[in-house]
Amino acid sequence: MGRGVTGLAPACLRASQLELFSPGAPGWPFGDFHALPGRRLCGRPLQIRQVARPGAGPEAAEGRGAGLSSLIMDPECSQLLPALCSVLADPRQPVTDDTCLEKLLDWFKTITEAGSSLLLLQENPCLLGLLCHVLKPQDLSPRVLAFSLRLAGMLAAQEDCFQYLQQGELLPRLFGEAGPLGGAAWTAPSVRSGWIQGLRSLAHHPSALCFLADCGAVDTIFSLQGDSSLFVASAAGQLLVHVLGLSLQGPAEGHPGLQTGDWPVCAQKIVSHIEESLRSAATPQITQALNVLTTTFGHCHNPWTQVLWVRLSPLVARLLEKDPVPAAHSLVDLLLSVARSPVLSSSSCGLWETLAQTLSHLSPTQAGPLALGILKLQECPQALRAQAFAVLLQPLTCVLEATAQAPGLLDSWDGTGGASVTVDTLLASKAACVGLLCRTLAHLELLQPLPQRPSPWPQAPLLGATVTILRLCSGSATPTSDAGGHLCAFLVGCVRVQRAALDFLGTLSRGTGPRELVTQVFAVLLEYLTSPDSSPTVLKKAFQATFRWLQSSPETPGCSDLDPHAQLFLRELLPVLPKRLCSPCWEVRDSGLEFLTQMIGRWGGQAGFRRALLASEVPELTEQLLRDPESYVRASAVAAMGQLSSQGLRVTPASPEHPGGQQKSLLAELLHILSTDSEGFPRRAVMHVFTQWLRDGHADVAADTERFVARVLQVASQDLDWEVRAQGLELALVFLEQTLGRPSSHCPYAVTPPVAAPPGPLAQALRPLCRVQLFEFAFRALFDCDRPVAQKSCDLLLFLRAQTASYSGPQGSGSVPEVASVEAALQRWQAGDQGQPLGYLEPEVVVAVLRSMDLEGLRGALAESSDRVEKSPQSLLQDMLATVGALGEDEADCY
Amino acid sequence: MPEIRVTPLGAGQDVGRSCILVSIGGKNVMLDCGMHMGFNDDRRFPDFSYITRNGRLTDFLDCVIISHFHLDHCGALPYFSEMVGYDGPIYMTHPTQAICPILLEDYRKIAVDKKGEANFFTSQMIKDCMKKVVAVHLHQTVQVDDELEIKAYYAGHVLGAAMFQIKVGSESVVYTGDYNMTPDRHLGAAWIDKCRPNLLITESTYATTIRDSKRCRERDFLKKVHEAVERGGKVLIPVFALGRAQELCILLETFWERMNLKAPIYFSTGLTEKANHYYKLFITWTNQKIRKTFVQRNMFEFKHIKAFDRAFADNPGPMVVFATPGMLHAGQSLQIFRKWAGNEKNMVIMPGYCVQGTVGHKILSGQRKLEMEGRQVLEVKMQVEYMSFSAHADAKGIMQLVGQAEPENVLLVHGEAKKMEFLKQKIEQEFRVSCYMPANGETVTLPTSPSIPVGISLGLLKREMAQGLLPDAKKPRLLHGTLIMKDSNFRLVSSEQALKELGLAEHQLRFTCRVHLHDPRKEQETAMRVYSHLKSVLKEHCVQHLPDGSVTVESILIQAAAHSEDPGTKVLLVSWTYQDEELGSHLTSLLKKGLPQAAS
Repeated sequence: MGRGVTGLAPACLRASQLELFSPGAPGWPFGDFHALPGRRLCGRPLQIRQVARPGAGPEAAEGRGAGLSSLIMDPECSQLLPALCSVLADPRQPVTDDTCLEKLLDWFKTITEAGSSLLLLQENPCLLGLLCHVLKPQDLSPRVLAFSLRLAGMLAAQEDCFQYLQQGELLPRLFGEAGPLGGAAWTAPSVRSGWIQGLRSLAHHPSALCFLADCGAVDTIFSLQGDSSLFVASAAGQLLVHVLGLSLQGPAEGHPGLQTGDWPVCAQKIVSHIEESLRSAATPQITQALNVLTTTFGHCHNPWTQVLWVRLSPLVARLLEKDPVPAAHSLVDLLLSVARSPVLSSSSCGLWETLAQTLSHLSPTQAGPLALGILKLQECPQALRAQAFAVLLQPLTCVLEATAQAPGLLDSWDGTGGASVTVDTLLASKAACVGLLCRTLAHLELLQPLPQRPSPWPQAPLLGATVTILRLCSGSATPTSDAGGHLCAFLVGCVRVQRAALDFLGTLSRGTGPRELVTQVFAVLLEYLTSPDSSPTVLKKAFQATFRWLQSSPETPGCSDLDPHAQLFLRELLPVLPKRLCSPCWEVRDSGLEFLTQMIGRWGGQAGFRRALLASEVPELTEQLLRDPESYVRASAVAAMGQLSSQGLRVTPASPEHPGGQQKSLLAELLHILSTDSEGFPRRAVMHVFTQWLRDGHADVAADTERFVARVLQVASQDLDWEVRAQGLELALVFLEQTLGRPSSHCPYAVTPPVAAPPGPLAQALRPLCRVQLFEFAFRALFDCDRPVAQKSCDLLLFLRAQTASYSGPQGSGSVPEVASVEAALQRWQAGDQGQPLGYLEPEVVVAVLRSMDLEGLRGALAESSDRVEKSPQSLLQDMLATVGALGEDEADCY
Repeated sequence: MPEIRVTPLGAGQDVGRSCILVSIGGKNVMLDCGMHMGFNDDRRFPDFSYITRNGRLTDFLDCVIISHFHLDHCGALPYFSEMVGYDGPIYMTHPTQAICPILLEDYRKIAVDKKGEANFFTSQMIKDCMKKVVAVHLHQTVQVDDELEIKAYYAGHVLGAAMFQIKVGSESVVYTGDYNMTPDRHLGAAWIDKCRPNLLITESTYATTIRDSKRCRERDFLKKVHEAVERGGKVLIPVFALGRAQELCILLETFWERMNLKAPIYFSTGLTEKANHYYKLFITWTNQKIRKTFVQRNMFEFKHIKAFDRAFADNPGPMVVFATPGMLHAGQSLQIFRKWAGNEKNMVIMPGYCVQGTVGHKILSGQRKLEMEGRQVLEVKMQVEYMSFSAHADAKGIMQLVGQAEPENVLLVHGEAKKMEFLKQKIEQEFRVSCYMPANGETVTLPTSPSIPVGISLGLLKREMAQGLLPDAKKPRLLHGTLIMKDSNFRLVSSEQALKELGLAEHQLRFTCRVHLHDPRKEQETAMRVYSHLKSVLKEHCVQHLPDGSVTVESILIQAAAHSEDPGTKVLLVSWTYQDEELGSHLTSLLKKGLPQAAS
């Protein structure tokens, strides 16, 4: 049932409620904080900055500095905050949108990072009131409780504020046993998560460490590592790493030789917990310990990490003695993290031996990521690299052997161990086989372009293996052994492996290969492009791989044409393309067109390619696809036709239905699409083509450039898609540059010749721009409801103004009434009125209007995102307050 | 122990962005990949790092399934596939595949236009993502791989919305996505067969609500529009490109026709043609009435609704305009709103939810003075109305669906914790099944007992038949045979056939036992005594005394031997096969009692 929501006043702004949280009012936990005795907490003297309460005398405000207050809190927000705190503390006022609470915390984070948290608390006592209030036993929403925990942690990150909160025993009540930790609210994962995040923010100074120890937080963090919520468990691990780092910040940093026995109690406790977990028989506990160590070594490169690794590495190595190796994935992550650490990898604690051992102990599937990680390392013993590469190559070797080909892959790489395990995995089941091959191909694909990839790189055997896999998948390979038969049965028609193999094949095009193998590559690609069984995703990848291989083909010496080998392939490929352009799947038609556009862009000027293309049906079919039912395809057809026409490859025979009649020009056809197509993609594509044509001086455009620009701008200005209008401005800019000269370089150090002003008076130079009504288009665009259009127009007009400044001749100010009428029209447009067109404008009027406008100011305003007002903290507070009571039972009504 | 595991990354005790991970029979599936429109940063997307932790995404996930085109169910898809790096298959229905990119493109443009976000997916990424989609038909069983299959069922809610059954072997999970159990103007009610899944994952947006009839809401809407137009006001209806807009268009079109109203109705951004195209294309997805009348009159060919031009907003007189976007946060709808807000004769009708930070949210919460750019204040004098047209099943509908599907367990998502709690109790009481409601990041694990099909050889069945027992479907029967596991298949065959097929030689396994008897006589005599005793006791069995002095009872062999240390004691060596296990143990216990005295 619909409801009117007019005239709703926020129910929460009653002053009586606010008193609850005012200093000195009943329930105020700390009394008058000026009267607080200086207590010693954790052996550190309490230091509170002398700051004033709101409303205190002007002398109290001294020392804050004039600008500080605004950094801390906007006065308007300060006014709204007490009401909001009342709402949050009231369980009868449910907070429906948790994104608001997140955004509120974002805002507090900005404030506390920029200024004093203590000042924030003192100027806004309602915050403290809220934190105290949430501790009362009540049916408070877990969201608000979690929010309060996070806020408290954020505030207590600054030591003086921490001490302040400690005086009221607020922090132990929030984070200790007496707080939510022991209550029913703890069952909500959001509360547990808030507790961890609060402590994570809080733990930034030594006093925080004492606090953690005193309130037994570390034990709770240990237990939360195994939490039922992934998010909580992960955050607990992160917090542990943070606490360990914090506790070792002072003592162990200065003394790298300090042994763990001499570490602070908190650090020792964490290390003992990790040791215990590593000794545990339960895999989840081992995983937790390994993850904590991975994060520690990944983020911290202090010398103490070396001491820690020396102590724990025997326990980690002992994991390899178990069969199967527990938490293998986490173990790999840890070892790689250690190997990447500059502190640890240089130490002599048997890291390389452990890595070698791990490689041989893990299953081929588990060892792959480790092998890749090792090969990515900048420095690593050669023997280990060889072993790692052998692990990666093993599955492909098995494929080659199974199809009775000379493997050759491992010739230069020692490490035949593990071959039988790999064969077993490959032949165990289809899922195992597919999984291992996909992973291997993906790992090799990542490795191939890296400078530290193994050398010599076995390009030829890898090509051979990939082609073989593709053939096994298509069913064209002939297995010669039992193993080959099994592989064939597993892989035939397997789209996953086809995709992975085609991706890798494309990457391999960066290297060369023996002629015979390259022939095989083209043959298998052609097979995939021709096969009716190829799925659309496989075809797309086959097109991509084909383009890459053609690109890498050597060019005929002495001319820039494709080598005869690739030419031959093209002759076979082009008859395949029409079939794909006629596919019932739009994905296939589109991929075909994208491929064609790339091909024309690369070889459109080369005779061999031109001949082959013109002899095929491709240009004709492409033109037909301008009327495809799918807008993506129409857009791709527009791009392809634009390229064909630019290269003079558009076929223009007389239409068979109208012999002797003239075929509609492509320009007219594209203009028709621009004015009538119901979807944005084709219209945007047309604008791209037109802009390119104008830039390149396309014959159809050059015949009458002014007419062309005028027509395009007229249509584009009416478009409902802002990207089309923005592209219209791009085209206008190109025309402007061609008429007035290029914009000067923005780089102050660039050596550029002085801009030569075109001869003739300014009026003459601007007249073509006036004739195509460029100014009306640009002025209207300046007040476009879509910001990028307005920005682009502003840039264009600023450029124009700069250009006109350098013109010779009399710079007339135009007739005053005309200028005034244009300015009035601009004001109307700014107010949102569409109004009448301006009609033809005299150049002098344009110049005068341009000079009178505050374009720089407008550019500044446009640079800010247009939702900055709604995004402001004030807007957020207003929204949260206004929502109270406004939404009823169906507020979760999302879509 | 086989199990099904479910972890929501989104929609766990909230209505933000749906994204649920399901592990079933060793396969991993992601159900929906939604975006939260309330955030402007990475928090709008689910935290996929929890999946990438398990290695490469494409290796870990077997497929992604999208239930429908709403952005809270599909908005993160281009980010997931083109920026995070998932390269596997994505399944959705044909209408969802067609409409999804339009909404994604709409949102992208707003994100780039309004917020100037550069790190957002591009048009090309949306297209590349959509190319990975495999479109499915209703009730079509799609084989994702050899073991994993999925099947779509009609869900109502919006055009193309579907519930999906995910099946591996005999284990199955049904995910409802958003659904509606009551038909509306253009869509039918959700339906699923009695598929008895191990788990039903259902949305629970209106877990505690019994909603009033949609007819009432429609009448109310038409009345308000009519009143505003009659008094010469302009009505703005901010909508998202496709979906609810079409439903409202049908409503107004029919009403205008019936009441013979002349005020113009406009629809912005050329979406009417597009909507017409899709609704014509996917006519089978609409309700029965629309399908029936389609031949005479296509409901989506509107006579009264015209394409909008920006200049029309300044025209005098009443009019109704549908404009995008739906939350009044950018573009045309906001521009028109600013123009019309100051006139109390005008009206804005918000037909859906608006996130915080949008003008739509502000006016819905009652704010009437809005600060705009440049510290300008816009006073909203126009009437503001909220009409909930969202099509979710209410508590009654959810219970109805649970009753239809008869699941073994239920898991609630896409709802608020408190409301879920109520529904959970209701489901557990009424259907006597376990009901779960995990929060985001929490994993629910359900042990399953998969039934494994076993083929029985004809020979074995014939032998069974030869024993004269006729098969009876109602009575289970014990059948002995050898279970062979070969080529991932299980077959029960006779032991002879098993030996033959596997090329194995037969080994005989015999149980042995030694029984000590106090008997000073010679071994042959002891054996004779044993024979006589057993002959008299085991009258139903064939007891023989063999020439070598040993005694047999069926397959049981008894030999007497002298004790090496005590000549007054004889040792009886008894051995038997497993077929005679019962008899063997009976016989040894008999011998252990000793031989009768009379025989001595």
